[in-house]
Amino acid sequence: MSNIRTWLDERAGWKAIWESIFLRKIPKVNWLYTLGSASLLVVLNQGITGILLTIYYVPSPDHAWASVNYITNELAFGGFIRGMHHWGSSLMVILVLCHMVRVYIMGAFKYPREITWVSGVFLLLLTLGFGFTGYLLPWDQKAYWATTVGTRIAEVTPLIGSFLLKVMRGGEELSALTLTRFFGVHVWVLPSILLIFLGIHLYLVIRNGISAPPKRGK
Amino acid sequence: MNNEKKIPSLSRRNFMQTAITAIGGVIASGFGIPGVGYIISPALLKRDKKWILLGSIGNIPINTPTLFKARVEQKTGWVTDYKEYAVYVITSDGKNYRALSNVCTHLGCHVRWIEDLQTFYCPCHNAVFDIDGQVLQGPPPRPLDEVVIKIEDEEIFMLGG
Repeated sequence: MSNIRTWLDERAGWKAIWESIFLRKIPKVNWLYTLGSASLLVVLNQGITGILLTIYYVPSPDHAWASVNYITNELAFGGFIRGMHHWGSSLMVILVLCHMVRVYIMGAFKYPREITWVSGVFLLLLTLGFGFTGYLLPWDQKAYWATTVGTRIAEVTPLIGSFLLKVMRGGEELSALTLTRFFGVHVWVLPSILLIFLGIHLYLVIRNGISAPPKRGK
Repeated sequence: MNNEKKIPSLSRRNFMQTAITAIGGVIASGFGIPGVGYIISPALLKRDKKWILLGSIGNIPINTPTLFKARVEQKTGWVTDYKEYAVYVITSDGKNYRALSNVCTHLGCHVRWIEDLQTFYCPCHNAVFDIDGQVLQGPPPRPLDEVVIKIEDEEIFMLGG
């Protein structure tokens, strides 16, 4: 076993990477500092369960609801997989927000961690984008009307509002085009952008180290 | 405290590493087992076999494989669709009947009866079978599959599902 490790390390140098990620020194902190890791775990959960859902889900008005119903009620573990994705999405929003509040209150966004903060803000917006686009996909009454309302809210934007509404819906009305573009954004566009910002965010967390809790008189 | 020093394998660091690995394993199997079940469960569904009406035996010529087709309603996933069956019914005396599947035993293309040559022919890889379904030429590993049939009141049924 250690022979294989050494062989791999000589060729790939993974030990240095491993140590800088998992064995790095951190200041003495409390449980609030695990909210970022918790968010990352939920992101992993969303990725795994989301990929599994696409095995059966069909983003088309005549199949979307039926395929979701099939996943939930007929497939082995389908209700579990969908439940993990469904509840995970709410948990992700909550965790990411708590994480942000913690960073803000501790003042951990200050020099040299401004870019970490800004990339985190993008990650928060992406999380909300995931929630918004994913909500439509079951194509039930709640999804349909929530997206009707959600896109109408975008319409209130000054000057470009009605243009924005049409771009989001793929036309005047909520239709098959709305469903397919929400699906495409949910499973391809947002995850790609998320990976980029997550990479930046995690790299900076490791590079700069996490900030110690502020102390009286410092 | 002294005991800990004597057993270095139970150091705090090792304990934490083992605990993290164990918890990680539990989480991984929490995803892995349902995930595998979720993917393979439709593949393991068993369909009940039932008798499917093919048609009347009244007009089957002697020694001429005659193609019968049947459509059966079938639900796959959330879609209710039709499955098509096609079998060749053969009789040499007008009393005893047997039926052969038209699915080539090589890779699943459909064979057809060539009257002039008195053989079944599969166009995909030039397989040739005789009237009994025996392989005369080409790659099929075994004769054409026999289909279980029964005759009731001049009507012919096949067992399928």
